Amino acid sequence: MPEIETTNFGTISYAPESIFEFPNGLPGFDERRRFVPVQKPQTAPIVFLQSLEDPALCFTTLPIWVVDPQYRLHVTGPDLEILDFPANRQPRIGSDVLCLAVLSIRPSGTTANLLAPVVVNLKNYQAVQAVSPESGYSHQHPLFPGRGAAC
Amino acid sequence: MLIMSRRQGETILIGNDIEIVIAHIGRSRVKVGIRAPREMAVLAQEVKMVSEENHAAAQAPSPAILAEILSQLVPAAHTLSAPSDEGSVRQEAGAEN
Repeated sequence: MPEIETTNFGTISYAPESIFEFPNGLPGFDERRRFVPVQKPQTAPIVFLQSLEDPALCFTTLPIWVVDPQYRLHVTGPDLEILDFPANRQPRIGSDVLCLAVLSIRPSGTTANLLAPVVVNLKNYQAVQAVSPESGYSHQHPLFPGRGAAC
Repeated sequence: MLIMSRRQGETILIGNDIEIVIAHIGRSRVKVGIRAPREMAVLAQEVKMVSEENHAAAQAPSPAILAEILSQLVPAAHTLSAPSDEGSVRQEAGAEN
């Protein structure tokens, strides 16, 4: 299996077929298109998204239903096209797509970006960070409400 | 802020090289066409917010902070009736070294 050197995890090996391909990168990281999910037993259910192109770039994410068990996807038409899904229905979390909320960790508290979940087609691993303005979700959803939540 | 009233199909000009066309007016949203120089970024505001949020998020947390997050997740995770298919998703996503 190929190996890469990373800032956070040292050398990791990964299965080439497990690479998440973001054809347009992520907002703010337009040139970062290939990530591998890294999970460790001691940090489950956290999924780290490690860039294959930048050893220092790593996002910390949680399966979206861990953050909000009622979360509903609102993927826009252009994003459905990137993911290779038909435009007439939303993909289902779990059976069609993996859906991850990106965490931001600040001194004021940890928040999850529910406005723009990372959505991965489980059949071909095409991925997009699906900015969903009509969903009404926040980009800074407090992970632990009531405990000095941010904003 | 300058507020202008426009009908569908009408245009607003900004400077010499930016053109904004009200392409379609629906019940709850409008479609807007924008013609601007290629080097000028045109973004929905939410995309900029997500871009800034991604930059704030793009660093692995220290082990202490990770431990804190995990310790608080555990009770929440137990209240989840763990959808059976979610487990398989996690497995599929795994690229454990």
